[in-house]
Amino acid sequence: MMAHIATDPMHQFKIVRLFDLNIGGVDVSFTNSSLFMVIGVLGIIVFFAWALSRPKTVPDRKQSLAEIWYGFVAGIVRDVNHEDGKPFVPLVFTIFSFIFVANVLGMFSVPGANTFTSTSHIVVTGTMAVFTFLLVVAIGIWKNGFKFLKVFVPSGVPWYILWFVVIIEVFSFLSRPLSLGMRLFANMLGGHVALKVFAGFIPQLVIGLGLVGVGMAAFLVMPLVIGVTALELLVAFLQAYVFAILTCVYLNDSLHPGH
Amino acid sequence: MGDDLNERIAKAQAELDAQARPSKKAAEGPGMSLGFRMAADFVAAVIVGAVLGFGIDTLVHTSPWGLVVCLILGFITGVWNIVRAANAASAAAQKDKGKDTGA
Repeated sequence: MMAHIATDPMHQFKIVRLFDLNIGGVDVSFTNSSLFMVIGVLGIIVFFAWALSRPKTVPDRKQSLAEIWYGFVAGIVRDVNHEDGKPFVPLVFTIFSFIFVANVLGMFSVPGANTFTSTSHIVVTGTMAVFTFLLVVAIGIWKNGFKFLKVFVPSGVPWYILWFVVIIEVFSFLSRPLSLGMRLFANMLGGHVALKVFAGFIPQLVIGLGLVGVGMAAFLVMPLVIGVTALELLVAFLQAYVFAILTCVYLNDSLHPGH
Repeated sequence: MGDDLNERIAKAQAELDAQARPSKKAAEGPGMSLGFRMAADFVAAVIVGAVLGFGIDTLVHTSPWGLVVCLILGFITGVWNIVRAANAASAAAQKDKGKDTGA
């Protein structure tokens, strides 16, 4: 029974209520998912406050890390949105940092208590994706008004297939929030399941094959697990990067429709 | 005041650019991120087609034609998304190559 629980790959995604909370008939209980989102956000705030508390002209290590972090995100926005993107740097920075820290927090494991990957639940990633989508639509309408609809009408298409292209563009536009939320959620979920399944081979081999199993686990499975862990760290970064760059691309579409 | 800040940023940026950083990454980023984008864009378009078609069917009672038509449209959109992303990526790669040999 113990071994069964230890190797159940979906067990890590279970939402546990830490304390119940009910505001106006809506269940807003504080769960382990909320806890790790709060830890992530507080971690980012505390880190940047600490790293930039006494800024120097020649940055030390912590200040350098904070500056590289910010410069990386600002660089994404500059590459995609150029001058118009400057007001959106704080937004994209928040999105990138939150996703990145939430992803990386889920990779840690301390004896007795496992961390929780908040981004492995579509309710978290979907909310962020829908927020981004609505923001893009709102900014597009606010900046361009009626001309925002030009985002559905690509230039240089002959009229007899234009109606069909417009339908395709509408579908493509509607698929954006789903694509944003689903990619992050699916990658974090899938990656952690794969990691847990590979790691689960170890107790199964040891229990099933004894000493031979120990050898196989040590020389066959363990390198694989280390490799998958490294891949997961890369994916944790890449997913945050993809979410940030797509936010920029979508914002660019709403600032300059009809490209 | 905003112009002043922009001026100062532009000046500082020009000084930084003058120091000539050689390897500037393209806006597309690592190829792996492009792969993630394409895969999710394709699947999302098909799902949106299915949901939209099913929704139309339940509202207007045209089952199964809304689902059939919208699913096909969603599939076409998914393929079109990938083709467009691939074209943009290869165009960017061509431009980068030309810049390298030209300079």
